[in-house]
This record gives sequence, C-alpha cells and structure tokens, in this order.
Amino acid sequence: MTVKTQIFRFEDAGLAYGDAAETLSDVNIDLGEGEFRFLTGPSGAGKTSLLKMIYLAMRPTRGKFFLFGEDAANAPREALPPLRRRIGVVFQEFRLLDHLTAFDNVALPMKVAGVNLNQYREDVSELLNWVGLGHRMDAKPATLSGGEQQRVALARALVSKPDLILADEPTGNVDPAMSERIMKLFVELNKLGAAVIVATHDLHLVQSLGKPVLRIADGRVSRAPGAGGGGGR
Amino acid sequence: MSTVDPMDAPGFDEGATQGAPPKRGFFSRFRHEPLLPEAGAGGAPLTAVIAVMSFLAVLSMAAVLIINQSAGRWTAELRSEITVQVKGATAAEIAAGASAAMRVLRETPGVEEATLKSEAEAAALLEPWLGKNNAVAFLTIPALIEVKVSPTLRDDLDLLRNRLAAAAPGATLDDHATWHDRLATAAQSGQALAFLVFVLVMGAACAISIFAARAGLAANHDIVSVLHLVGATDEFIASEVQRRFFVLGLRGAMTGLIAAFAALGGAAAMLNAGVGRDSFLPQFSMGGWHALWLFSVPLATCLVTAVTARLTVLKTLRRQY
Repeated sequence: MTVKTQIFRFEDAGLAYGDAAETLSDVNIDLGEGEFRFLTGPSGAGKTSLLKMIYLAMRPTRGKFFLFGEDAANAPREALPPLRRRIGVVFQEFRLLDHLTAFDNVALPMKVAGVNLNQYREDVSELLNWVGLGHRMDAKPATLSGGEQQRVALARALVSKPDLILADEPTGNVDPAMSERIMKLFVELNKLGAAVIVATHDLHLVQSLGKPVLRIADGRVSRAPGAGGGGGR
Repeated sequence: MSTVDPMDAPGFDEGATQGAPPKRGFFSRFRHEPLLPEAGAGGAPLTAVIAVMSFLAVLSMAAVLIINQSAGRWTAELRSEITVQVKGATAAEIAAGASAAMRVLRETPGVEEATLKSEAEAAALLEPWLGKNNAVAFLTIPALIEVKVSPTLRDDLDLLRNRLAAAAPGATLDDHATWHDRLATAAQSGQALAFLVFVLVMGAACAISIFAARAGLAANHDIVSVLHLVGATDEFIASEVQRRFFVLGLRGAMTGLIAAFAALGGAAAMLNAGVGRDSFLPQFSMGGWHALWLFSVPLATCLVTAVTARLTVLKTLRRQY
C-alpha cells in the first residue's frame, strides 16, 4: 500500500480579521499528495480566506496548520518563502505586475528563487507557447484581454512546477469553452502528480468533473454530501 | 519538489502563433530588470533631492579641505618666523642694539635668516595709523628684525630670548604665539563647522531615504505582496529596493558633484584673482588627494542612501507584512 505524503493539514484552526468575529472556524481538513478538491460556497463564505491561509498570505489566528510537514502556523518568517515556492497560485484578480511583460511576469517565481535567466528562459517561453501566448511574450498586462491575463497568471503559477496548485475562481473571467479547458487542465496536472484545490462557485463544472468537494458555509468547512474522498473531517 | 511538468498536459496553443523567447541583447545578461517600477522609489524627485544633498556635501567637504590646507600653510609660516624688536631712547641707541641683536642671531644655530628692516620700511608699517612721514618725524621708531628659524629652535626660544636681552637690553622677541593660537583655533572651528554641515547633509540624505523607501513600499504594496507570495524573501525585496536607490542615488550624486565642481571652479577663479592683490587670501588649489576625497562624497551619498533604504525596507517588511 502506498502512503501518500501529506501536503497540508488544519487542526481546529480559525481565522479572524482583527478583532472581528472569526471568518473561518474549527477548520479540520487535510490534503494528500496528488489529491484534488473543489472548494465551493456562496460569495463571502470564506473560500479566499481559506486559500490565503494555505498559500501563507495569512496565518490561522488559532489552531494548527501543517504545510509540507512544517508547522506553518508558528514557523518564523524566514521559513515561509521556501514553502511558498512549492505552491502555485492563480489569483482571482490575476495579480500580474503591470510594469512587467508577460514573459517577466511568468518568470517571476524563478527570479525570486534566484534561478539564472539562462536556466528558465526556454521554460518560460515554452510555457507561454503552451498557454497560447507565444506571440504576446513582450506584451504588458494592460494590453492583454482578461482571458490572456488569466493564462499568463496560470503560466506563472505553473512555471516552478509546484507540488500544490491553488486556483481562486479561475474561470470567472473566461467564456464557458475556456472554463472547461482550464478545468480539464487542472485535472490533467493533478493526474501528473500535483495536488490541486480549485475554488469556484460554478457548480455545473464541479459536477461535470466528479471530483471531491469541500463546502464552506457560515465560516465552517465541510465535505459536501455525496462527494467522494473529501478531506474534511 | 514534484516533477510535475505542466507541458505534459494538453495546452492552449492550438492555432496560436508560436513565439520565441524575447530577444535580449548580449548586455542584457548583465542588466537587471527592475521588479519594482521606476516611480515606486520616488524617481526624479528623489534624484533631484539627492543631487542637492550631494552638492552641499561636496561643498562642505571642500570647505574642510580648503580650511585645512590654508590653516596649515598659515600656521607653518607663522611658526617659522619670529620678530625681534629693539627699542631705545635715541636712534643711536636703537642702531647699536639692533647690530648687537643681529650679531647674536648670526651666531645662534637654527637661525636660518635674519633681515633687519630699514627705518623707512618700519615707518611704512605705521603709515596706515599715523600717516605718511609722521612716524619718522615725531617718533623714535624701534628697529625690526625678521627672523626665520628652524623648527628645533622654534620649539625652545628661551635661550635666544635671554641672549638677546643680555646683548641688547631694549630687544624683545615676539614668537607670534598669540596669532598662531588664534589662527589655529579659528581654523579648527571652521573645519568643525564644515564637517558638521557634511554630517548633517548625510543625516538629511538618510532621512530622505527612509521617507522615500517607506513611501515606495506603500505605493507598491500590491507588488511587494505578490513578490512575497511567489516566494521572495525580505532580503530579496530589500535588495531590489537597495539596487534601485543606489542607481537613483548615483545619478543624483554625480549630478551634485558636477554642479559642486562648477561652483568650486567659479569660486577658485574669483579667489585666485584676488590673491595677487592681497596675499593673505588663501590660495585655492586642489591636489590629487583632495579630488579623491571629493569624489568619495557622492559615492558615500549613494551608499548611505542605498543602505538606509535597505534597512528601512527590512524593518518595515518585518513590521507590516
């Protein structure tokens, strides 16, 4: 029997913004290597907050959080960048750097990791070709359409070949055909070994792919009824 | 790290034009593409302020050097010269005393040169106060002997003073100590003041860097956040800001240096024109070492700017992010 390596695990974790009531409470979920989860729930339920905790933009205000085996809730600041480099994030609002070209945006994770340009130049170019933007490598984000920006963001999330891919509403700005292609891509990447969490409110897509679903409602994360293999406890 | 290669999955490239990596010239490998935008660190206004700071810093350093050079020359001249004054009731008594004093001076080791001023030359020194010919007509003018002495003799004039007093009872020796001490004090005060200005200008450059670095971070909050989220360390971000500030600082500092050299050149031309008429004015000239000191000022300015920005960014990131 093969034992899957754990990607992350929350234990009784909670997240509050300032002195306000907890946005997320009693989070007890985990994700193993190569697993796929959809994350659904109404707008404002806390999907983005949960993803922020996972990609270490925020830390839980209570409880425990282990990421790649490290105690990420209490790890010193210096320990966080190496963990973040193992995660590829497709942000809901893309968060591309407007003053950089598509090429430089995609290359960003490599640059901050100190990789030499000669080592990632071909990879970044191939990846941009792969997302169909080979002809727009020198374009600035402002000159790209929403769908093109989405694909640049996708390429940036994948360039460092992450162990965990997080996507926050990745189909929110593209047409249905492109939505389907992007979702299928995540499934393919998952088959290749990456753990994937996709936050979406597009239930049609969720149902069509038949993957396990985590549902957030009233600040609590639970496994959706009928979904197989979910990590909620 | 997993070995997942996204390109093993089906891509989006059907029908799209394939592109080659962006063409970047040979020198691009040495060029650093800034991850923070130009305007983020203050840009042109910061360059202008640093240029002004550098200008003032170079001028204050030049003042330190000029005062040091001039004071050194003045005090050296004063230290190497003494004056012997011979008084008497009559001209004959003064002349006898003067020749006795000259004899003592010639026989004293360490006396390099002794020049007895004529009565006309001595009277000329009084003209500004007593008017032409009045001094000779109404006063018995003491004899003046200008003496150049070696440093060894200058350190111990008591023996010479005693021998002069014994040979010519009306002879007194003036070692210019009062002038020397006053001049040295004035020079030291001037140098201290100029150095204080230099330190204050550097302090102002630090303060400006802190303000600009904080403003830059606030203006680029989203970019800094993205850099963190893709795995950048605080040191990486601080290095980006430091590099940016160093370039801006260097640009501003060199502008300030050029402006300061132009101002110093103009001042030197005016001052040196005046030296011919009044030798008390300092000779304005700079040697290689002086130029080296002045060139080090803009370098120090941009280093101070860059290092301050780095430390500010590190501190701010640890506190805010």
